[in-house]
Amino acid sequence: MTRLHRHGLGALGALAFLALWEISARFVWRDAQVLPSPTQAIAAAAHYLTAGELAAHIGISLSRIVGGFTLGAAAGIALGVASGWYAWLGRIVRPIVDLLRPIPPLAWIPIAIVWFGLGEPSKWFVIFLGAFFPIFTNAYRGMASIPPVLLRAARTMDVDGARLLFKVAIPAAMPDVATGLRVGFGLSFGTLVAAELIAADRGMGYLVMQSRQLGELGVAVFGVLLIGVVSLASDAALGAGLRRLMGRRSGH
Amino acid sequence: MMRRWRDVLYPVVVIGVILAAWQAGSELGWLRRVQFPPPSQLVQTLYQLVQEGYPEGIRLWAHLGITVERILLGYFAAIAIAIPLGLAIGWFRTLDHLTEPVIAFCRSVATLSLLPLAIVWFGTGEASKIFLIGYGCFWVMLSNVIAAVKLVDPVLIRAARTMDTDRLRLFTRVALPAALPRMFAGARVALGVGFMVIVGAEMIGTIHGLGALIMEARTFYRTDITMVGMFVIGALGFAIAVGLRRLEMRLLPWQDREAGRSQ
Repeated sequence: MTRLHRHGLGALGALAFLALWEISARFVWRDAQVLPSPTQAIAAAAHYLTAGELAAHIGISLSRIVGGFTLGAAAGIALGVASGWYAWLGRIVRPIVDLLRPIPPLAWIPIAIVWFGLGEPSKWFVIFLGAFFPIFTNAYRGMASIPPVLLRAARTMDVDGARLLFKVAIPAAMPDVATGLRVGFGLSFGTLVAAELIAADRGMGYLVMQSRQLGELGVAVFGVLLIGVVSLASDAALGAGLRRLMGRRSGH
Repeated sequence: MMRRWRDVLYPVVVIGVILAAWQAGSELGWLRRVQFPPPSQLVQTLYQLVQEGYPEGIRLWAHLGITVERILLGYFAAIAIAIPLGLAIGWFRTLDHLTEPVIAFCRSVATLSLLPLAIVWFGTGEASKIFLIGYGCFWVMLSNVIAAVKLVDPVLIRAARTMDTDRLRLFTRVALPAALPRMFAGARVALGVGFMVIVGAEMIGTIHGLGALIMEARTFYRTDITMVGMFVIGALGFAIAVGLRRLEMRLLPWQDREAGRSQ
């Protein structure tokens, strides 16, 4: 089974899926307000949206995800690593995280609005939460499961303090951190779309919801496909970035 | 014994200090009640929600019950379809290659973005919420079942082959039991996804359910109700996660611990 063969089959499967959808929408359901075909969805989007508007929706969603995810990743890695390294800090931080983690990020939306208003910060906050918990948990786990032999070996070579943390411990915990980043990114992306559906006036999630006011289901289908493509592409970019950053250690 | 005693004590102290500071900050007027209703008020609100209910006298148990019911209906429907389908795709390599990109794509579509479609297809009632939960759980479960079958140790399969096991028995007696731990881990992750989706699905077009409770409360600036609702959701999620882990250890004692950690 060559790679080419495998990707060929994949492309064939995707094409068959699209063709089946197109045919059943056009010839079986025959109602673009119930099941728009892929081409009808694109046509509807082209009719109602200019390229500039579309780019603005994608742009604002991406800026939210970059802002919220970056903050969540920074806080999650910093706190997770520090809690794993300093036992006293872990004793304080972990109970709080364990208490808040089971609350789904979306459940924070009303509180986020009360705390931060209807603007961008409330969206950033909810996305931040989506990213923070898996990243914290994985970073902490990575630090906690460093083989003690590694640390002792470094100590016998007089590596200590900050150097021990940055040159030995953190690199050893990196594979877990990378896993956390991937999981956290997926979660914060889903959270973003939902937050935009529930409380926003711009963005890809809003685009999907707007279709209800337009009375045009094709726009919603287009939005759903768009979200899928952007999510796949940004996840792939993150994966490639992590691989480059960490070489073979990342385990991805 | 010393360790366990500490494991309980530290969290209790930390949470206790935070609650006390929160209460004090509220009494002293440093924290606005609309934004940070003090813990003492949250306890009162919890009592109120249990006794009188909100909104329109819907009691807390009723919200909890309907949320659990929606999750379970969507979840079990998704699992029931995903398991046979995933086993087939994982076992037949050509089928796997054919479906791989489509599954990857469907999985990365944010479930809640399907909300407008669900409303057109299933109306604003229960069916559309169950569909959304089902969709979210289905793709996660499906990809986990496929991975579980594909990742069965080839040594096991080869060993069984040398003993002249036919293909059907190879599947039912060797591959399936070896795949079960990962499948169970997948089922656990899928339930977590359903739990995420339900909150969002309930925020639109209903007043029943925990998601609706916390969203409705916002309209009247009842932050206290929102917070109590969040903690009930959190407690429910925690209880489900712990319950499933117990069940897993009981049903599948032969699994290696690592498989359950994959996500």
